[in-house]
Amino acid sequence: MTAPLPRPPRPGLLRRLGARLRTIAGLVAHFLHPARFVLAPLLVVLLLAGVLLWLTGGLAYVAPFVYTLF
Amino acid sequence: MARVLGISAHYHDAAAALVVDGEVVAAIQEERLSRIKNDPGLPLAAAFACLQHAGLQPADLDAVAFYEEPFAKLERVLVHLLRHLPRTWRAFPRALAGQLGSKIWVLDHLSEGLGVARDRVVRFDHHRSHAASALLVSPYEDAAVLVVDGVGEAHATTIWDGRGGRLRLLASVEFPHSLGLLYAGLTAYLGFAVNEGEYKVMGLAAWGQPRLREQFAKIVRLTGDGAYELDLACFAHMSDADLGFGPALERLLGPRRPPNRPWDFERADDRHYADVAATLQAVLEDILLALAREARALTGADHLCLAGGVALNALANARIQAEAGFSRVFVQPAAGDAGGALGAALLAAQERGDPRPPPLRSAALGLAIDPARAHAIAGELGLPARRVDDPAAEAARLVAEGRIVAHARGRFEWGPRALGQRSLLARPRDPATRERMNRLIKEREPFRPFAPAVLSERTCDFFTAGPDDMTPFMTTTARARDDVRERLGAVVHRDGTARLQTVAAERAPELHAVLTALAARGEDPVVLNTSLNGAGEPIVAGAEDALAFWLRHGVDALIVEDLLIERPA
Repeated sequence: MTAPLPRPPRPGLLRRLGARLRTIAGLVAHFLHPARFVLAPLLVVLLLAGVLLWLTGGLAYVAPFVYTLF
Repeated sequence: MARVLGISAHYHDAAAALVVDGEVVAAIQEERLSRIKNDPGLPLAAAFACLQHAGLQPADLDAVAFYEEPFAKLERVLVHLLRHLPRTWRAFPRALAGQLGSKIWVLDHLSEGLGVARDRVVRFDHHRSHAASALLVSPYEDAAVLVVDGVGEAHATTIWDGRGGRLRLLASVEFPHSLGLLYAGLTAYLGFAVNEGEYKVMGLAAWGQPRLREQFAKIVRLTGDGAYELDLACFAHMSDADLGFGPALERLLGPRRPPNRPWDFERADDRHYADVAATLQAVLEDILLALAREARALTGADHLCLAGGVALNALANARIQAEAGFSRVFVQPAAGDAGGALGAALLAAQERGDPRPPPLRSAALGLAIDPARAHAIAGELGLPARRVDDPAAEAARLVAEGRIVAHARGRFEWGPRALGQRSLLARPRDPATRERMNRLIKEREPFRPFAPAVLSERTCDFFTAGPDDMTPFMTTTARARDDVRERLGAVVHRDGTARLQTVAAERAPELHAVLTALAARGEDPVVLNTSLNGAGEPIVAGAEDALAFWLRHGVDALIVEDLLIERPA
């Protein structure tokens, strides 16, 4: 039987930070659309919460209708 | 020419699919490897298994394609949480924690988990991924595409024009109106687990009568332009992640059925619940038929592709094939969320200039089973295994003797249906076989039907219609001929239909060989074919799973490639 492919090592902090910043930039760009301005203040609060969640290891929640809400 | 890995994850039934130079090389659901039923987690095991099958490293990939737009999804979640305040205030913190804790970072997590540069991770719209998963592996150059599921980013139903391999969105129904969530809500109302019990509702429908149309007319209605809308007061999927239906539904249909109570159709309330299932199925079919006709009117196409979780409703698919006006209809075997991984991979490959893949001939896109490993495990456990020269002939002998055979040969299947590679096989004649399978092995409700697999060229000897584009993947039903109903007593449902699989040599060679061997013995070339798993278990994948299944369940024989183990008759 073939040995499974080795998993890649966890990237360094700077690389992960760069990826997160790229995602945040994409998120901000998405919500800068004029039709979504109304959500911008909420987004700022959410981003702060998101950073906190990232720093604290995140949260997983599973429920049958999770895809409709979460 | 590109190497693209598609990924679906984070909601239910995560999967990975690998497309190399425009060909679908492998497609695997994470549950088969993690052994967690409907595993929604990031499918890294499936992704690495696909790469290993193709002899590739992550660095060889040109792109990793995710099947959904995380930011658009976050936007929809935010808008609906705000719109439905104060009903949603309890769900608000958890919803946002779920989004911000993991889901919006999914592209980063894929990059890090796979070791692929972040700029190679791309994403596509959920419904476009579904539509591509059907159109681009279908046998049609041009087709209308109808996608119906719970919800993606915002769409719950979409109609696409698929021409020359390109998809153009023509019409949509937006969340919270959703046929998938209608079916899911009623699944919960009937006491079944959502995202798993929908098949049970479909099986239950044959035991009831659609007597509740008046009540259902208040729950869901066609709007006249091919769309539909729900009475949202009956549902809770906008505000409650656990239940999905509201008190208004119980006021209309009576109290919900308690989960896990044994079914007894002597009871008036269980007959009522069967009527609920029958009416739901009838109403769903009516609406899907209207949507399919709208798709035909909008596109003028002669062919239809269906995708999304609702496209796994085989009864509805049969009715669409018969009544919607399309000459041919196709549903790929993993029509649910897992299929989004395939669609995303195909879209990314198309963007990189790759040709469209050839039509999907077989669902055997998983990993092969290792007979040497099976022999080694059987030896370690002291099981009475022996090597056989002709496993198909042995399987046919056992089936003909009325025994139940666990059959694991070739690469495992893509999608929820076992199509002969990881199947339990039995003689289709005796209803007692169905009872034994239901109660002892599958531990299922007694009303649930089993499906037949028939030699493709002999289909018309047993059913009123021949093979079509769906029958090789068991995504439609057919009516059994009256003169053979008794010979198919274990596989024809109460309503006279069966979710049949037609088996051709090039699509499922191992099962074709079994059916051919049965015919050579003078038996009908038909078997009862159900998935090789017990209650709550994912379908068997590797040799370890197959041997573990043998040890746990009372099947009469196990075949793993050339390994055969029998229990005394």
